[in-house]
Amino acid sequence: MLVIWRKAGESIVLGDNIDVEVLEMRPHRVKLGIVAPESISISRKETKLTRAKNVTAAMSMDTGLIENLLSRLSSYRRHN
Amino acid sequence: MLLPFIQKAPVKQKARGLHRGFQSMPRIPTKFFGEVDYMPESVFCFPDGLPGFEEEKEFLFLNVPESEPVLFLQSISMRNLCFVLVPILTLVPDFRIVLTPQESQVLELPGERAPIIGKDVLCGALVCADSKESLCANLMAPVVVNLWNRLGIQAIHPESGYSHRHPVAFAEHALAC
Repeated sequence: MLVIWRKAGESIVLGDNIDVEVLEMRPHRVKLGIVAPESISISRKETKLTRAKNVTAAMSMDTGLIENLLSRLSSYRRHN
Repeated sequence: MLLPFIQKAPVKQKARGLHRGFQSMPRIPTKFFGEVDYMPESVFCFPDGLPGFEEEKEFLFLNVPESEPVLFLQSISMRNLCFVLVPILTLVPDFRIVLTPQESQVLELPGERAPIIGKDVLCGALVCADSKESLCANLMAPVVVNLWNRLGIQAIHPESGYSHRHPVAFAEHALAC
């Protein structure tokens, strides 16, 4: 991993045409400004992860797995 | 707590009998429950959709008595899009939800205090199958809906420390949703 120290107002450049500027620093977070071509998709990493998890959640659950889920639930019920 | 607008998913044949004569009630095909009639006031709106399905903004919560407390979040316009949810307090009885001001604004909740799960909001974790034997719930990004106006979001909070692969095992003392 490349590690670079920057101050507020300073930037880094990715490739030829992506510019990431540190706009503001607070104790627990920083505000970034990103200038990039329209074709570059920019997401928070956790949003990208959630998107992938949601797609898997929507695609993976079928009636068999729901029965599996419910059987876990019924064993929970038996124990209580 | 009673959630009167959570749509019961009727058995198909019963549904026909039950709703005969109420032709004005909209009907949609669903992924798991055949065709379901619903009240327009049962529709939940997700203004931003859910990540991965940003275009899908209208959903029904379906449940069947046999599947309590599991809920199904069925898209109105896409038959094959139906998420399986577990109320989050069933998995983590002391779960606390902290929303950002932006999230509170979308849900039209007062931002000055944390919403109470089961009273102000329904908070559910999406269930995902990694393999046949591994069912996980995403606690990092729960679905949160305002119970009073049926507005919903998926609240993504990596800083909460909750896992996006929480094994599905039910806590001993399940509370309200």
